[in-house]
Amino acid sequence: MTITRRDVLLGATATALVPMAARAETADVAIGVVYPFSGANAQQGVDAQKAYETALDVINKDYDFDLPLAKGEGLPGLGGAKVRLVFADHQSDPQKGRAEAERLITQEKVSAVIGTYQSAVAVTVSQICERYQTPFVSADNSSPSLHRRGLKFYFRPAPHDEMYSTAMFDFLDAMKEKGSKIETLSLFHEDTIFGTDSGNAQAKLAGERGYKIAADIKYRANSPSLSAEVQQLKAANADVLMPSSYTTDGILLVKTMAELGYRPNAILAQDAGFSEKALYDAVGDKLEGLISRGTFSLDLAQKRPMVGKINAMFKERSGKDLNDLTSRQFIGLIILADAINRAKSTDGDKIREAMAATDISGEQTIMPWRRVKFDESGQNNNADPVLLQYVGGKFVTVYPPQAAVAEAIWPMK
Amino acid sequence: MTAETIIQSLASGLLMGLLYGLIAAGLALIFGLMDVVNFAHGEFLMIAMYATFFLFAFFALDPLLAAPLVAASLFVLGAMVYLLVVRFAMRAKANAGMVQIFSTFGLAIVMRGLAQYFFTPDYRSVTHSWLGGKTVSVAGVFLPEPQLVGALVSIAAFAALYFFIHRTDFGRALEATREDAGAVALVGIDKNRVFALGWGLGAALVGLAGAIMATFFYIYPDVGASFALIAYVTVALGGFGSVFGAFAGGIIVGLVEAATALALPPSLKSIGIYAVYLLVVFIRPRGLFGSI
Amino acid sequence: MDKAFAARRRRDLMVAAGLVIIAALLPLFVRNVYIQNIMVLTLMYTALSQSWNILSGYCGQISLGHSLYFGLGAYTTALLFTKLGVLPWFGMLGGGIVSALIAMALGYPCFRLRGHYFVIATIVIAETTLLLFQNWEFAGAALGIDIPIRRDSWLTFQFARSKLPYFYFALALAAVAWFVTWWLEDSRWGYWWRAVKDNPDAAESLGVVVFNSKMGAAAVSAFLVAVGGSFYAQFVSYIDPDSVMGFQFSLLMALPAVLGGIGTLWGPMLGAVILIPLTELTRSYVGGSGRGVDLIVYGTLIVLISLVRPQGLVGLFAPRRKVAAP
Repeated sequence: MTITRRDVLLGATATALVPMAARAETADVAIGVVYPFSGANAQQGVDAQKAYETALDVINKDYDFDLPLAKGEGLPGLGGAKVRLVFADHQSDPQKGRAEAERLITQEKVSAVIGTYQSAVAVTVSQICERYQTPFVSADNSSPSLHRRGLKFYFRPAPHDEMYSTAMFDFLDAMKEKGSKIETLSLFHEDTIFGTDSGNAQAKLAGERGYKIAADIKYRANSPSLSAEVQQLKAANADVLMPSSYTTDGILLVKTMAELGYRPNAILAQDAGFSEKALYDAVGDKLEGLISRGTFSLDLAQKRPMVGKINAMFKERSGKDLNDLTSRQFIGLIILADAINRAKSTDGDKIREAMAATDISGEQTIMPWRRVKFDESGQNNNADPVLLQYVGGKFVTVYPPQAAVAEAIWPMK
Repeated sequence: MTAETIIQSLASGLLMGLLYGLIAAGLALIFGLMDVVNFAHGEFLMIAMYATFFLFAFFALDPLLAAPLVAASLFVLGAMVYLLVVRFAMRAKANAGMVQIFSTFGLAIVMRGLAQYFFTPDYRSVTHSWLGGKTVSVAGVFLPEPQLVGALVSIAAFAALYFFIHRTDFGRALEATREDAGAVALVGIDKNRVFALGWGLGAALVGLAGAIMATFFYIYPDVGASFALIAYVTVALGGFGSVFGAFAGGIIVGLVEAATALALPPSLKSIGIYAVYLLVVFIRPRGLFGSI
Repeated sequence: MDKAFAARRRRDLMVAAGLVIIAALLPLFVRNVYIQNIMVLTLMYTALSQSWNILSGYCGQISLGHSLYFGLGAYTTALLFTKLGVLPWFGMLGGGIVSALIAMALGYPCFRLRGHYFVIATIVIAETTLLLFQNWEFAGAALGIDIPIRRDSWLTFQFARSKLPYFYFALALAAVAWFVTWWLEDSRWGYWWRAVKDNPDAAESLGVVVFNSKMGAAAVSAFLVAVGGSFYAQFVSYIDPDSVMGFQFSLLMALPAVLGGIGTLWGPMLGAVILIPLTELTRSYVGGSGRGVDLIVYGTLIVLISLVRPQGLVGLFAPRRKVAAP
């Protein structure tokens, strides 16, 4: 990194403060990681940091995994250069995410950016990356609108909400064929991008596939009380309750359901809070038999031992098992680093070309995907969602059949 | 919509409203005493919930047993905040109102930062307690025990507060200090001591609320934000300077919130509270029972 | 008019002109886009805080709901552009006018409220509007509005990489907001407001005219803040309800004025020049730790300044400041 005298003068305070990552050794390849590290969603950022550090470890050190870049140290395509991560805090604010992405690109000279947890922040971060012709990997954003904006430098290896919701309805169809009574659904979703997108996709699919929506409840995220909402769910008493909630609201929802004596027949959750350890620590005893969509399953460790080993590496750092978010973050960085390696360059356009040419078989990832291959919009359509059921304190894969290790228990009790 | 849904929603709203009242009681007391709005009130609640959680996690103390301890620690916190911050904010000669708002607001940010630093931003819950998850069912209406006990504590706290302000020497000293701080100095009452005790008491009330909230609510550094605005509106609706007003305000807020969630999409339920507040103050500019 | 007062006003105007010229030359020396970005935000918050100060500082009507006007400005511009293809310059004007009208409509019932009743009313009105936008499908609801990127052009006020057009617009807006404040200080409205502040009884005798002047102040303040919101929509090219109408904006607009000196001509600028770079730098350089250190630094600073210099930092720079009686 070159520092001009002017920068020193103006950024004196800045450089005097703790620099975020060890400063450059010449051959390093820097990648920007933009997450909420403070504010209401800080925990997501902290967990993500651990996932990225685990992936970094795999890339920079020698491991015997059948995963791109695991063997050998660093990026062979760039003469064994090490990857370096520069973390930045967007505080869940699109404007700050934008400013941080721009700082990472212009000041920290990152070759690519990965992030962001919130879809709203991904909108601005991906815009800035487009303007600076720097690839952006949308590791864990699930809003379907993101890849439909004609951006050239946007890549999403994981599924989006419509793919997830489609899988959920495929599953419902399959259960129905097996003779379960599934006619009515209750949608319960929060009012930010995630819940709104999810609710819209589910309402549309329900209409197409002939399910009746008994209740469609949109609630304010982080409400102090969900009593009135749960009362309406209880009155509707649908065959399946489909919540799209973050951790906080998920905990309150389950507690309130218990308090108001509402025991749904089945819960089919849109991930988010329902893949978080904190939620199961709090109310797991009330969720026996819950089914959540996801893109990751620890069951895969039975078929691919490296999944278990990588999970152990992550757990050592974070005290948690890999979940739906952290696994996507991990693999997102691996895929990005692999493209940089193949590009043999840190130039944005070359990395973009290499990203677009990515073709990794699902076996070489930790995900239950068919392969990683991006379409023109940068979306990987071969990332198959899975459905996981919470049984005896653990998640088991119940759908699709090729990934399933157990039959779904239906209804949940 | 059935009658059962309506009755259940209103019953839940009433219980929640009493709890809002309890959360707001401390704010009302502090305001009534010295015209200061504590913008860190939500963070006091957050600290109380964390205190309850840690007493549970490390000493397996049930939140009900922890409540007096939490209230006592919050008393100390409240008194310290007065002595270390608010006392100086009140000296401001120019735009005292803004100085108080922003010094307590800055304090709120610091408290959130400290909570994140020491407790991590992870979501915590008191997983089992005597009250948690239990419900009393009366004629088909479910009354969750945490909220039920919260409502009873709220009623008891307001009764005690009423008695305290109107029937004890200290309460009269509070009142007198509020009305004329200069005059009480002449009769030998130390204004700062009275105010510090007032802040301690206000914070202790939030401590009680936090201990009960911890039995059914999640805990994380930003949790106070969900309740802060409701607490301000509750106090203002009841009328600043009236502790009884906060009690009534809480009940109204709880009921209106529940009713709005039935009539409108639940994501808009706060609008009902805000509309009622505006309606009330446009008609009665000092809230329902306010004196200031 | 008092001679000293007139001289001071001339001096203020000259200092301001000098500062604008110096600021206009800054980008010649600062090429670093990250720092340029901070400069744009600093100027934007100077303008917003200056506008807020007209109503809340000079008139004494403390509003913590100005995010409403910021959001209305941003949404009007973005909606007109994405739905009807109306250029943002007209959207800016439209957003300003809409906001000014709404400010007057709200001012009518709200100015009867005092103290904290007024403050809370402003907060809940802004929150209500936020919730309505969050649920308004036509305006994108929670998804917000993504302003499509086109070629760099002054017509659509879009520039992919260059910060300079935004910088000069924000500078102009800040200068206009300052000038309006300067002009109001010496207007009839300015005299009435000071009279009312110094002597509440005067409010009685001036009753109606003061009420009308407050309505005027609300309209001017809302108009300028809405233009700031339009600017923000263009600058970030994406808006959603929480990021343009959230309560945090109301606080961020008030903070510079409070720290610099509320109800003073120079306070908002001084506050913004200190506060905004500090916020940005703490987030960028200590915020990545995930441990909330940036919040601790930021909050402590606010507490300290409000306690140590309750009259604002502006007094440190201009000890002579004494408002002459009319």
